[in-house]
Amino acid sequence: MQGGSSGIGYGLKYQARCISDVKADTDYTSFLTGTLSLKEENEVHLLRLSSGGSELICEGLFSHPNEIWDLASCPFDQRIFSTVFSTGESFGAAIWQIPELYGQLNSPQLERVASLDAHVDSVLWWPSGRCDKLISMDEQNIFLWSLACSNKSAEVLSKDSAGMLHSLSGGAWDPHDVNAVAATGESSVQFWDLRTMKKVNSIERAHVRGVDYNPKREHILITAEDESGIHVWDLRKAKAPVQELPGHTHWTWAVKCNPEYDGLILPVGSTRQRVNLLLNSYTDYEDSVYGLAWSSREPWVFASLSYDGRVVIESVKPFLPRL
Amino acid sequence: MATEAAPMDEKAKRMRDLLSSFYTPDPSISTPTSSISTSFDNINGPSFDADQYMDLMIKKSNLDVLLQRHVQMAAEIKNLDTDLQMLVYENYNKFISATDTIKRMKSNIFGMEGNMDQLLHKIMSVQSRSDGVNTSLFEKREHIEKLHRTRNLLRKVQQFIYDLPARLQKCIKSEAYGDAVRFYTGAMPILKVYGDTSFKDCRRASEEAIETIIKNLQTKLFSDSESIQARAEAAVLLKQLDVPVDSLKDKLLEKLEQSLDGLQINPDEASKLAEHNVSSKDEESNNQGPAKIHEDAVRGFSEAMRAYREIFPDSEERLFKLARALTTTHFENMELYIRKRVSAADFLGIFRIIWEDVVLMDEVLPEAALSDLSAEAAQVTLKQFVARTFSHLQQDISDTLLKFDINQKEVVDGEVLKVVLEASGKAEFRQLLDENTGIFVKMNDLLIGWIQKGFQDFFSEKIHAGLILVLAQLSVVIEQKVIPRIAEEITASFSGGNSQAFIPGELCRVFHAASEKLLQHYIDTRTQKISNVLRKRFKTPNWVKHKEPREVHMYVDMLLQQLEEVGKEVKQILPQGTFRKHKRSDSNGSNTTTSSRSTTLHSDKMARSNSQRARSQLFETHLAKLFKQKVEIFTKVEFTQESVVTTTVKLCLKSLQEYVRLQTFNRSGFQQIQLDIQFLKAPLKETVEDEAAIDFLLDEVIVAASERCLDVTPLEPPILDKLIQAKLAKSKEHNNNNNKTTVSS
Repeated sequence: MQGGSSGIGYGLKYQARCISDVKADTDYTSFLTGTLSLKEENEVHLLRLSSGGSELICEGLFSHPNEIWDLASCPFDQRIFSTVFSTGESFGAAIWQIPELYGQLNSPQLERVASLDAHVDSVLWWPSGRCDKLISMDEQNIFLWSLACSNKSAEVLSKDSAGMLHSLSGGAWDPHDVNAVAATGESSVQFWDLRTMKKVNSIERAHVRGVDYNPKREHILITAEDESGIHVWDLRKAKAPVQELPGHTHWTWAVKCNPEYDGLILPVGSTRQRVNLLLNSYTDYEDSVYGLAWSSREPWVFASLSYDGRVVIESVKPFLPRL
Repeated sequence: MATEAAPMDEKAKRMRDLLSSFYTPDPSISTPTSSISTSFDNINGPSFDADQYMDLMIKKSNLDVLLQRHVQMAAEIKNLDTDLQMLVYENYNKFISATDTIKRMKSNIFGMEGNMDQLLHKIMSVQSRSDGVNTSLFEKREHIEKLHRTRNLLRKVQQFIYDLPARLQKCIKSEAYGDAVRFYTGAMPILKVYGDTSFKDCRRASEEAIETIIKNLQTKLFSDSESIQARAEAAVLLKQLDVPVDSLKDKLLEKLEQSLDGLQINPDEASKLAEHNVSSKDEESNNQGPAKIHEDAVRGFSEAMRAYREIFPDSEERLFKLARALTTTHFENMELYIRKRVSAADFLGIFRIIWEDVVLMDEVLPEAALSDLSAEAAQVTLKQFVARTFSHLQQDISDTLLKFDINQKEVVDGEVLKVVLEASGKAEFRQLLDENTGIFVKMNDLLIGWIQKGFQDFFSEKIHAGLILVLAQLSVVIEQKVIPRIAEEITASFSGGNSQAFIPGELCRVFHAASEKLLQHYIDTRTQKISNVLRKRFKTPNWVKHKEPREVHMYVDMLLQQLEEVGKEVKQILPQGTFRKHKRSDSNGSNTTTSSRSTTLHSDKMARSNSQRARSQLFETHLAKLFKQKVEIFTKVEFTQESVVTTTVKLCLKSLQEYVRLQTFNRSGFQQIQLDIQFLKAPLKETVEDEAAIDFLLDEVIVAASERCLDVTPLEPPILDKLIQAKLAKSKEHNNNNNKTTVSS
C-alpha cells in the first residue's frame, strides 16, 4: 500500500521535530506537539482525535518561548508535559502545565511548573505509572530530579557524569524497572542504575538515534541507528543483537514499540516511514520524519510528525490480523 | 450151537428189521431191495398179502405140505410171540431202571441252588483278589519291561561305541565330517561318563580321530579357497565340537581389522586416487589405477564381511563396528586430506570413492546403518570443506592483497576479482553444487545454507569494503551465469528430471538477495565512513559563534577523497551501466510526470536565485515545496558503477542535510556552509549521473542551513567565486606537489 491517503493530517505552522502521546488522557486519544522555529514564536499544539477517528482537532494552542527540540507528556497528569528547548546558544528544559481551558483558543500562556536548570538534551518520564521523578540528560551528565508540582519546584536528587566523550543524546526509561535507564551516546548505549547512579551495562553501538524498551517483554530493547537499521537486543545477552531489521534507506531517526501489540515496531527516518515487521510502509511524507508516538489509548493508532510540520495519524488496524 | 447161532442171527436180524421198520415211519426207504424180490410170498415183506399167500398155498401144495406148513407156521408164530414177549420185557426193565435213575437224579438235584450261589460268590471274591494282585504287580512289570528295553538299547549303544573309532576313521577318509561330528557328539555324553570304564580304548581312539577332524576343519575354515558354504559349515561343526570358535572368530576378525589399514585412504595419496578415479571414468580401459585397486580391496573386504557374517551370525555387532570404523577412518582421513588445499574435483572424487565403499558395505550390512553414519560424517566433512574453501578463498584474497603494493589498488582489486571469479565462482561452487551423487542431492539445501552463511560471516567481519563489493559481484555472477549452467548440467545428467533438490530459481533468489545485501552493505560501510567525517565537522565548532568564512573547509576534501575511493573501487569491480546522464526522470522513479518537470523548473530556479532565496526563506521554501517535493531521491541500487556512486553521494548529501538541521548557525556559519556546498557542486556533478538529484540535495542542504540560521545573509557571488577559485588553485597545487613527490620517490 503506497501513499498515505488513509492518514489524517494536521499542519503545524512551522517546522517541528517532536510529538508525544498524552498518556494520562483516558477520555480521548490526544497528542502534544511543539514547533521548532528559530525566529518565529513557537507553539505547542494539543491535538485530539475526534471520536469517529476521522478528524484531528486542535484542542489547545499555546505559545512557547523557545524552539522545542523535545517534548514529553506526563504519564499521570494530562496537563503536565516537559519540553527541551534551545535558546539558540544553549539548551534548557522545563515542565509546563496546560492552563484550564474554558473553550477559548487564543494562545493562553502555559504555566511553567519548573525549570530543569541545566544544559538539557532530553527529558524522560517513567512510562509505567505515577512516579514523581524525572530524568534529564545533557551531553555529559545524567540527572535525576524530584518533581513537586504543588510547590512548582524541581530539585536534583542525584547526578552522574558519563564522561566528556560520550555526548549523550537521548534515552529511554525501562517500563519494567523504575531504576533502569538507557541512554544513547556517541559510541554506545549505556545503562544506568538510578539507585547508585552508576553505569551498569552498555551496548557498543555507534550512532544510535533512537532507543525504546519493549513494554511487553522485559529486557528487550530496540535501537535505531544511522546507517545500519534497526536492532533488537536482549539486555541479558548484550553482545550481539537478537534480531536485525532493515532500516530506512537513509538514517532511522526514531523507533517505538507498540504499547499493546508485541513485536509491532514503528521506525521513522529521513526517507520513509514504515511499520515493522514490515507490515506496511507509509510514504506520504514530504520531509524527514523525526517525531513519532503510538497512542496508548488506541494502540493501533500512531502519530508521526515530519519536519515540515505535518502531523499524520495512521491506523495499523487493517494489518493487525496478520500478526 | 453154531447152527443155532446162525438162525439166531437171522432171527435177531429179522427182529431188528422189524423193529426198525416199526420205528421208521417210511418203510420204503429202509428196505428198498427186498420188497421187490419177495413181494407176495415174503411173509416178512411189507407188501405181503395173506389172502394171496393162502390162495397160492392151496393151489400149489397138497395137504401134507399144507399141514407141514401149518405146523411150521404155528411154531414160527410161537417163536415170534416169545420173542416179542422177551422184547417187551426187556424194554420194560429198561424203562423201570430209567425211571429209577430219573427219580434218583431228581433227589440229587434238589439243594444244588444254594450251592451254586455259594459258588458264584466264591468265584467273585476270587476274581477281585486276582485283580488286586494284578494291579499291584503291574508297575513292576512295566518297569521290568522298560529295563528290558533299555537293556536292548544299551546293547546297541555298546555296539555303537565299540564301532565308533572305526566309523570315525571311515568318515575322515571320506571327508564326511558332518556325519563324524554327529556320531561323535552322539557318543560324547557316554564317553564322558563312562570313558574310564570299558570304553577307555574306544574313547581314546575316537578322541584321536576327532582331533584330526578338528584340525582338518580348522584348516578348512582358514583357507580362503574353500567356498563360504563349506567354511560356514566347518565353523558350525567346530562349534558343535565345543572348540572355542570365538577365539577363531577373533583371530579372523583381527585379520580383517588389519586389512582395514590397507583400505584406508591415505591422505597423501588421496589426490592421486581421486585423479585416477576421474581419469578412469574418462577411459574405462584404464583399470589399473589405484582407485580400481582400492575398489577391489573394499569389494574384497565387504565379501569377507559377508562371509564372516554368514559364518558367525553372532558376530554382527563386531562387523558393524568394523564397517563403522572403516567409514569413520575414511572420513577422518578425508578431514586430514582437506586440511591441505584441495580442489573441489579431488574432494568430490574422494567423496565418491567413500560413498561407493559405503554402498558396498551397506549392501552386506544393511543393519549397520552405514549410510546414515556416513551421511552424518559427510555432513561434517562437507561443512568443514565449505568452511575451508572459504578460508582458502579468504587466504587467496589476502594473499593477493599482500602480493601487490597497496598503492596499486587497481591491480589488486582487478587481481582479486580475477582470482575470486575464476577460481572460486566458476570452479569450486559450481562443482560443489553440481555434484549429483545421492548424498549431495540430499544435502544440497544444507550446502547452500552454508555457503550463504559463509558469505554472511564473511561480510559481517570488518574487512576491506572493496571485498564486499567483490562478493556482491560474485553473487551476481553466480546468480546469472553459474546457476543456469549448473541447472543445465543437472538436467543433462538427470534426464528423468528428478532433481527436485536443486531448484535453480530458489538458488538464484538466494544469491540475488545475497548480492543485494552485499551491495547494500558496501554502500552502508562507505557512507558510514563519510558520515564520520561529517559528524566531526558538525559537532566540533560552535556554529553560533562562527567566524567569517575565509576558505572552503577541508572536510570537503576528505569527502571528495572518500567518494573518489568509492568511484575507483566501483570502477574496477562493477560493470558500467548504460550511459544515461541528464536523463533526470530516472531519479524520480515511478513518480508522476509533474515531478520530472518540477525538477527542471527547480534547477532553473536554483541557478537564478541562489542568493536571493535565503532572504525570502519562508516563502521560498513553501513555494519550492509546491514543485519539488515528491522527488524520489532513493531509487533502487543497481549493479552498475554509476548507480552505486550516485547512491553513495545521495546518501552523503542527505546525511549532510540532517547534520545541518541539528545545528543553529549565525551568519558566518551559514556562509561557510554555502561556500562549502557551492564548491562541492562541480566535482559531485562530475562523478554522478543524476545531476538533478544532486542539485536538489545540495540545495536542500542550503535550505536546511538557512532555516537553522539566525541571520541569513548569503555571500555575494563574486566573493563566493573568489574563494572557490582560491581553493581550486590550492588543491591543484597540492595535487602537483603530490605528483612531484610520487615521481621523485
